[in-house]
Amino acid sequence: MNAVIEADGLTRYYGDLAAVDNVSLSVEAGSLFGLLGPNGSGKTTMIRMLTGQVRPSSGTATVLGVDVVQDPVLARVKVGIIPEQETPPSFLTASEYLDFVARIRKIDDADEKARWWFEFLDFADKKDVLCKDLSRGTRQKLMFAQAFLHRPVLALIDEPLINFDPVMQKTVKEYLREYVSDGGTIFLSTHILEVAEEICSDVAILHRGQIVHSGSVAEILARKEKLSEFFLNAVGKDTYA
Amino acid sequence: MHSTIFGSLGFALFPVLVAAITFMGSAMIPYLEAVIPGGTLSLVVHLQFLLLGVMVGGFGLLGQEVMNRRFGQASLLAYSSRSLPISDRRIFATFVAKDTVYYFLLWVLPFIAGVAFGIPLSGLSISFVGLITVTLTLSFLFGLALVFLLSMLYAKSPALLALVLSGVILIAAGIVWLQIAGTVYLFPPYALYRDFSAPVFCYAILAIALPFSVSISGMTLSFSGREKRYTNQYGEIAGRLGGLPAAPLVAKDILDLWRSGAFVGQVLFSFLFPLAVIWVSLSVLSAVLPDVQILFSFAAVAGVIAATMYTWLTEFDSVGTYTFLPLGTPDLIQSKFTSFSVLQTILVLTIAVTAILSGHAREAFPAVVLAVSVSFYACSVMIYLTGLWPAVMVYNARVLLSSLLMIGPVLLVFIWLSLLDFRFAFSAVFLALPAYLLVRISLRRWASWEKVFF
Repeated sequence: MNAVIEADGLTRYYGDLAAVDNVSLSVEAGSLFGLLGPNGSGKTTMIRMLTGQVRPSSGTATVLGVDVVQDPVLARVKVGIIPEQETPPSFLTASEYLDFVARIRKIDDADEKARWWFEFLDFADKKDVLCKDLSRGTRQKLMFAQAFLHRPVLALIDEPLINFDPVMQKTVKEYLREYVSDGGTIFLSTHILEVAEEICSDVAILHRGQIVHSGSVAEILARKEKLSEFFLNAVGKDTYA
Repeated sequence: MHSTIFGSLGFALFPVLVAAITFMGSAMIPYLEAVIPGGTLSLVVHLQFLLLGVMVGGFGLLGQEVMNRRFGQASLLAYSSRSLPISDRRIFATFVAKDTVYYFLLWVLPFIAGVAFGIPLSGLSISFVGLITVTLTLSFLFGLALVFLLSMLYAKSPALLALVLSGVILIAAGIVWLQIAGTVYLFPPYALYRDFSAPVFCYAILAIALPFSVSISGMTLSFSGREKRYTNQYGEIAGRLGGLPAAPLVAKDILDLWRSGAFVGQVLFSFLFPLAVIWVSLSVLSAVLPDVQILFSFAAVAGVIAATMYTWLTEFDSVGTYTFLPLGTPDLIQSKFTSFSVLQTILVLTIAVTAILSGHAREAFPAVVLAVSVSFYACSVMIYLTGLWPAVMVYNARVLLSSLLMIGPVLLVFIWLSLLDFRFAFSAVFLALPAYLLVRISLRRWASWEKVFF
């Protein structure tokens, strides 16, 4: 199996604080990989480094064979990204935003693909609304659509189900599973363990910037242990005391 | 924020630099007074402080808080009234007070300090420095209050703003044309400079307090809950711009500026209003400069003001929108520069109309060439020094000094050349080469910067 993401000794300092500290991991093609961790553990920083949005203080990483430090823009050509916090530009409508992304990414049949996403995520009635007037959930749907519009072989998602209602969460989880079974790879970060337990094949647990565990979800569950219990043991229960 | 970004020293040196420049300028005062009457010089300086207040109000206050709140990109602080027991008017008034004090300490006080330290060079008296401390401060505040009031009116209703502005301009023009005694009272702080008395002081304070009070009390949140809908205009615009570099990004910039209302607001408050003040300042020098030379000086300065359109494009956009797309900082710089180029049509029209209305239609074309050339050059300097963050980085002393040294002498050379013969204004096209090179170098220089200012 090929590794689509290889990180070796990735470190990122903000001042004296090591947000990510000497992290090495490998993500195989065709997996649904979950990066878990408490709030502030470095998950978002990790994703930002893997997508070339933030330069590591040290270490290397390749995404689909592209060195993200040397060529961050090329890395972002190949992947789809759903950031946790960024939102679509305020003064474009939802459909205009997908048009914008399609033109940036030079996507063919963009109109048809956009129409599909509007129907699939059930927000076609909002396609002519300015992004600033969309609810957070609808904006999240839009961000989801823009990440997969070009059908990338790898998608990196920071908190995939945030702002989604239960119905939409089910839809999205099914989509991600199907996406992986069709040959794609997903790298997601989340602090919602139930999501990881339900859909991830492999996980790594990040705590205070360091990997404290990595392996398959099946191995953890085979120990007759819930992922949440395993996670709490891995990060130390005192974190939540 | 500024000290965090530049480091304490870089930011602290900014007012020191302003004071130093003023101190050196004090040495020029005796020579200037030999050519320009003292009263005229004082009026020009007061108008420059009015202009400073207008530009600060047009950017620092409008850009982030008023316009953003009016048009949707709210900041956490500004929207605190939703979740905390504090009214939005109080938040707004606090921002007004905060930014007034901030920019006073950053610009006005250093200027006064430079003049004070330069007394041995200028021959001015301490009492005179005391006088201008008050009147220049009030000029700054007057500019701030005016643009505040106008922007509040604009936020409420562009038609209301047009009505009020038309009325004020008509009245002012009537007073000036009819030479009704007391023209000086149209500019209250300067009236105080001419007649430092209690009644005039009260009048000047009232002229500032009233617009401030009206704008704060007129400030209302606009949460109508209405969803604004548009058909896909973006596709049509992007299609039409297809031949331009970074057309998808330029099309977005155009829609951003238009739909946010920032386009009209910025053109009015950050371009036309300051240019009007500059034109009045230069017209005051008509005793020593022929009209046509005023036009070319105006064109050159307008070019520098027009370069700030690059700041409109960068300040009203969030770089965070692009960080997860296959775009690098050079792509964004290139797109902003292209959008800036499109906006220069405003400069072209302004200079052409000014030339025609001032009776110099024949000189319109060379004046336009001068203005546009200076604008592109000044913009390229801004890009080289600040990348995508001109509004923030200009407050770094090193950046400010570098921009003054790179733009100032060039500006003076071309003003001087056009004064010799207006046809020399065409030589400004040679600025295209350094502008091009600076932009090319900037694309490499800023490529490795992280997008931190979003």
